Amino acid sequence: MARIVTITSGKGGVGKTTTTANLGTALAIHGQRVAVVDADIGLRNLDVVMGLENRIVYDLVDVVEGRCRLRQALIKDKRFPELFLLPAAQTRDKDSVTPDDMVALCTELRREFDFVLIDSPAGIEAGFRNAIAGADEVVIVTTPEVSAVRDADRIVGLVEANEKGHPKLILNRIRPDMVKRGDMMTNEDVVEILAIDLIGVVPDDQSIITTTNRGEVAVMDRNSQAGRAFSNIARRLMGEDVPLQVLTSNTGLLNRMFGALGLRR
Amino acid sequence: MSFLDTLLGRTRTNSSSVAKERLLTVLVHDRVKLTPDMMEAMRAEIVAVISKYVDIEDADAIEVSLLRGDTADHLKADIPVRRQRT
Ligand SMILES: Nc1ncnc2c1ncn2[C@@H]1O[C@H](COP(=O)(O)OP(=O)(O)OP(=O)(O)O)[C@@H](O)[C@H]1O
Ligand SMILES: [Mg+2]
Repeated sequence: MARIVTITSGKGGVGKTTTTANLGTALAIHGQRVAVVDADIGLRNLDVVMGLENRIVYDLVDVVEGRCRLRQALIKDKRFPELFLLPAAQTRDKDSVTPDDMVALCTELRREFDFVLIDSPAGIEAGFRNAIAGADEVVIVTTPEVSAVRDADRIVGLVEANEKGHPKLILNRIRPDMVKRGDMMTNEDVVEILAIDLIGVVPDDQSIITTTNRGEVAVMDRNSQAGRAFSNIARRLMGEDVPLQVLTSNTGLLNRMFGALGLRR
Repeated sequence: MSFLDTLLGRTRTNSSSVAKERLLTVLVHDRVKLTPDMMEAMRAEIVAVISKYVDIEDADAIEVSLLRGDTADHLKADIPVRRQRT
């Protein structure tokens, strides 16, 4: 039974595309057959984050408007035989697609895949409504900042009003050093405020930028803390019981010593 | 807060608790879905009702605010009435 999961946030730039690329790849690594769908029409991004930008022929709008078949538009990621990308159109706007189109597309994708992850655009307008239209479940990404959490709260309300169940939460860009000195809200603070289930915490990590620079994703990098966090979230999505790991800042003396001894996990 | 900060007497509330407090306050308004226009209309109606029974000091001095409580949020109206002997 396929699961269609939309990744959304309200506020822009908090990590939806990064999350979609990493979870999609991690699920494929764990043996699932996965399609990641870029629903950010007009601001195509997921292709470059995954390093697949040179292989695009057709896009989501071509499929919806019947210019090609779904199979022709799906780009196979050669590194992971079970991973496919459906890119967004770059030169069209979000009104080229309706929620009904998205439901029809999802019905077709459902037949082929175990997981379909949809990367939503920011905001609460048409693009967001398209992105959640065909979803079975919704994952909300936020950073531990006032504006991002406020927008996430708005999204929780909209998701529930659209009868998509209780969304799950990913807290991104946590800085353990700042949390420790009381200058960043904790997981508990954000969960208490939003009152939804947390399925993962991802540290703010330079490896996100370095892997993205190369057209790779952090879950492909064994040394990436963020990659490990995303991999754990993928396993939780698959129903495995993986405890939340406690994030530690690797800037502390003890950690540096452990690191030097090869003990950093 | 670092040891040095404590030593130098730089006591400032941690910014995360300020963030949480501000967030909770703004969400009270967001969740109740009262726009400033609706708040103002409600305030005017409250003034009209109350002034049927008591002399209100100054209609503009009446404040209606939305406050966060422990178990529920509260609408609070502060209505100064005129002190007078008849
Ligand atoms: N955990 C992280 N650590 C460090 N950098 C991160 C992390 N997550 C995201 N970023 C960076 O933040 C930026 C925004 O991320 P991303 O594009 O995934 O956000 P988005 O929510 O998809 O944005 P948009 O709303 O524009 O679609 C990118 O430059 C990305 O590399
Ligand atoms: Mg994005």
